[in-house]
Amino acid sequence: MSVIIESDKGLIFEIQKMSTEDGPGIRTTVFFKQCPLRCIWCHNPESLLKTPQLEWFKHKCIGCKTCIETCEQKVLTLDEDGLHIDREKCISCGNCVKECPSTALHMFGEWWDLEGLYNEIQKDKVYYQKSKGGVTVSGGEPTLQSSFLLRFLKKCKGNGISTALDTCGFANRKIYEKLLPFVDLVLLDIKQIDSEKHQEFTGVKNEIILENAELIANYVQNNNKKMWIRTPIIPNYTATEDNIKGIGKFIIEKLRNIPERWDLLSFNNLCTAKYERLNMDWPLKDLALMTKQEIEILFDIAKKTGVKNVQWSGLTKIKEDN
Amino acid sequence: MSEINENLGKQERSQRFQIAEPENLSKRSKWLRDYFYKGRGRKWNNQFTPFTTGTDWDINWHEGDWYINPEVYFYIQALGKKDMGVFASSYRSMASPVKLPENFWELSIPERRIFFLKEVMLNYIPQEIISENDLIAGGRFNTQLSKCFNKKEAKKYWKWNIKNREANFKYHYSGFGNIGAAPGHIIPDYETVIKKGFKYIYEKAIKRYELLSKNDKRGPKGQELRAIITATEIPRKFAKKYADECKKLKEKASSPQRVEELEKMAQNLERVPWEPAETFWQAVQSLWITHMLLMAEESYPGAGLSFGRMDQYLWPYYKKDVIEEKFISKEFAKDILGSFWFHCNTAYDAMIILGRQGITSGYGQLLTLSGCGPNGEDLTNELTYTILEVIDEWYPSLEPKPNVKLHRNSPDKLLDTVINMISRAQGAPFLINFDERSMAGLIAEGIPKEEVWNYACVGCLENTMQGNDRSGTVNCNPNLVKTMELILWNGKNMPGNDKAIKKGEQLGPKSGNPENFQTWKEFWNAWRKQMEFVIKYTVDIYDKDEDIVAKLMPTPLLSSIVRGCIEKGLDIRQGGPELRFVTVNGVGFATLVDSLLAIKKFVYDEKKYTIAQIKDAIMNNFEGLEYEKMSVFLKNKAPKFGNDSDEADELARNIMKTWADECWKFKTPNNYQYRPGMLSWNYWAGEDAGLTIATPDGRKKGTFLSNAICPTSGADLKGPTAVTNSVGRAIGGITEGGELINYLPNGTSQTITFNPSILRDPEHREKFKSYLRGYIENGGTCLQINMLDTEMLKDAQIHPDNYKNLLVRVTGYNAYFTGIGKELQDEIITRECHKM
Repeated sequence: MSVIIESDKGLIFEIQKMSTEDGPGIRTTVFFKQCPLRCIWCHNPESLLKTPQLEWFKHKCIGCKTCIETCEQKVLTLDEDGLHIDREKCISCGNCVKECPSTALHMFGEWWDLEGLYNEIQKDKVYYQKSKGGVTVSGGEPTLQSSFLLRFLKKCKGNGISTALDTCGFANRKIYEKLLPFVDLVLLDIKQIDSEKHQEFTGVKNEIILENAELIANYVQNNNKKMWIRTPIIPNYTATEDNIKGIGKFIIEKLRNIPERWDLLSFNNLCTAKYERLNMDWPLKDLALMTKQEIEILFDIAKKTGVKNVQWSGLTKIKEDN
Repeated sequence: MSEINENLGKQERSQRFQIAEPENLSKRSKWLRDYFYKGRGRKWNNQFTPFTTGTDWDINWHEGDWYINPEVYFYIQALGKKDMGVFASSYRSMASPVKLPENFWELSIPERRIFFLKEVMLNYIPQEIISENDLIAGGRFNTQLSKCFNKKEAKKYWKWNIKNREANFKYHYSGFGNIGAAPGHIIPDYETVIKKGFKYIYEKAIKRYELLSKNDKRGPKGQELRAIITATEIPRKFAKKYADECKKLKEKASSPQRVEELEKMAQNLERVPWEPAETFWQAVQSLWITHMLLMAEESYPGAGLSFGRMDQYLWPYYKKDVIEEKFISKEFAKDILGSFWFHCNTAYDAMIILGRQGITSGYGQLLTLSGCGPNGEDLTNELTYTILEVIDEWYPSLEPKPNVKLHRNSPDKLLDTVINMISRAQGAPFLINFDERSMAGLIAEGIPKEEVWNYACVGCLENTMQGNDRSGTVNCNPNLVKTMELILWNGKNMPGNDKAIKKGEQLGPKSGNPENFQTWKEFWNAWRKQMEFVIKYTVDIYDKDEDIVAKLMPTPLLSSIVRGCIEKGLDIRQGGPELRFVTVNGVGFATLVDSLLAIKKFVYDEKKYTIAQIKDAIMNNFEGLEYEKMSVFLKNKAPKFGNDSDEADELARNIMKTWADECWKFKTPNNYQYRPGMLSWNYWAGEDAGLTIATPDGRKKGTFLSNAICPTSGADLKGPTAVTNSVGRAIGGITEGGELINYLPNGTSQTITFNPSILRDPEHREKFKSYLRGYIENGGTCLQINMLDTEMLKDAQIHPDNYKNLLVRVTGYNAYFTGIGKELQDEIITRECHKM
């Protein structure tokens, strides 16, 4: 088990308003920082660590060097290749971000207190009501900040705002037991059904995830709540017939077809630039998008497993565009 | 985990760059549409035709009608020269003389003017049926009529006009915006004309005239009412001429079906608009003949001369003919409307292009659809949907301009239709108006709660009542951002920025040397003083612009169908209507808000800069390394309106309230009450932007100001719900009891650009529908939606020939993307494009 951050505040790296991709209706998605998994295809590399992280946008920088003058740790240097951040020495104090006139420097991760975070998300209450939407907590892995998360979910529910928990499933079952009473919908990722491959691609085996999936399925069925399964469709890693059939079989047999919906999310490469800005290498940066035809083959396989309400979305490329 | 939160949806590049084309048009409507779009290649057109009394001093083009179009100032006259400009003199020299009766010069001005209109429309303008495809009679109406002045009046006009011109030009060229008493911008009482006929109005005018005392009959009331009586007979005589033309054409008709149609048309024209309409066809015919005559009278085509709630007043006819008695088919009813659509578009024949930003023209024959009834119930009917079909099939086209009213009880079917249309076009082919917020503003101006539901829109989006309300909805357009310059230089222009004034002239009050202000409160008070001055300066000029048309250029035909005028014996331009307002539309709201926010934060809260430093930076237009850095800092690091931030939006609301309260303090000499609005048409992108020096929000001289109620370009970073919440809050917000507040009775538009992927499937369309329902509660009065892919727009800049049909919405106007200036194109591309 990874470290659980216990704090009065939550470390959040993004609050996305009018999100339409993280559950029903119009939602606000709150992205919690830190993740226990290390998926090769991870689309939110800024979510992984439990500390705030600095990023630099080349196209916004006006070259004024205010950041270098501001930094007391002397971790920044600017040359013709751009701004270099000595990430070993950077203490993420954020002073350079504050002084940068052009917002070329940005800090992933900000500490929010409960009142502040709730005030921010309640602003769109009207839209939640009209659309049967609400708040989605995502990440990273939100359950790693379970104490703050629990208080946040309680506050939302207490004020009539519907909640969804987007989770990788890799957490102590007790945490789920505590959180589930305050969650209306669980968005659970099942990425790879083969545990060895799961470990190879994400850094952990999948047994805990699958056990938690069963726990959640039972809970939602007994308590009139909902569960959706989400599977990232990544060429060479998860986009195989065996994997889709295996996940389908698991949903039917072990989860007794309780999940209301199964989403196949096709690979996208929009995060390439984020990796660069964080000075991280991304093994999949040259991986091509799938074609619509390719994803629809898998979609048909998924539908044939008997799981109800299979959907797909995400980026595809047109065939001739190689 | 959210692996794919930057999801773009199931879109493929190959589908992205399709431009909507007209579709499903009937053969007949297609012919009419194609014919219109032949433009100069057509045999027939509806160009301005000028007419004169033949006197040496005649005037048939009043420049004041165009003062709110600063892009034509050049053609009015260069500063300092005291005679006719290019337009006035060329219309004068091209004008055909009209034969006048012997007693003409003994008549009063209104009687002369109405006689002149009558002569021109009956005996000088040919009555033509455009084609066998046309079901609605009424071709040419674009006139420039003599003002019918005698020599003494002409002299008076010129003396007055030159004074007004100098005042207006000074106001404009020193960066205050523009002002003018524009024609149109009203919903005449078309409903009464259709349902009761001009006969009823004629009789009402006669009765009113007979009640006048002998003295009054000799005076202005008698003159006006006699002119109105003459006016109400013009439509009958004019329609009769068209009836004759239809009968004549029967002989040449190519088919028995056309013979039958021409017979019907002749019958229609012998009945309406004099008698009440009995059929749908007659109702539309009655409407068109009346409308075109009003445009002829004002010599200004379709300047916000609007139809009101057409789907409501035409509904009884449609219901009877199409649904109950099946007297005509729905397809035929659509062709009747199609002919009407065609004629509305011919307003554009008057002049091809106006202005370098090319918002094609100041036309806005607006029709309003749907909306609520007296108890909040929905009034959508089958005709609403039929008209929406016509709009959809004709898309893209420019006129008439539709607004769809939404409210808490709008049915899902209507919203689904609206969203389908949005997804087919590059955005909504109509503006969406929001009843609850709009009505809150109208109630605040004194409209009774029992009546307010029947409001409708004129021009672009301006809220007025129907048939009795002239609200001068576009007449005063002060540049709010000017107040910043006046505070910083203590009531003067920035040194060097004095092209149109005496060097160092004290324009506004001395609000104090800002460099000595110790607190934000002092700065705010100085802003208030300058803002009060700007409004007073504006109304003083407008009072005179209004008075010249009131005293010298009455419009008796229009007056006859605006309730209140006959009753009072007063022309519409002299204070006749029951509801009388003049709207002051603040321009550059968010630029002002952001400028004040930047000063508050960095000068007073954080003390990062001094006022002296800000002034230096502005004088240097933020050029040079240090100032560039400052400009970038101010642009990025200050709070901005449009992000649902309490601090920014509360100041925005305060500015709005303070400004709106001040507008209500004034009335014109003709008894029109000033009221606030925020239309800001194209000025923010055009003339005003060019004349506004750099601003404390980091904006450089000449770049665009903010548009209407929108945030400054690219400042809204939190998505569509956040910007919507900001807009709703700025125009008033909600009381603790949950009642909507609206400081702007005229309304204001929010333009929002979405990526087309948000409507990619039924699930997302439902979400979008909910967003619109949320807008009703949290948003402003009016929303214009663009559905544009940034890549497509960039491609359109490179290959304009492939995108001739690409229509985008610019401040309430549809404009062809390839026909607008590069600057405005770039602005549209950089608008925050919201992916959901």
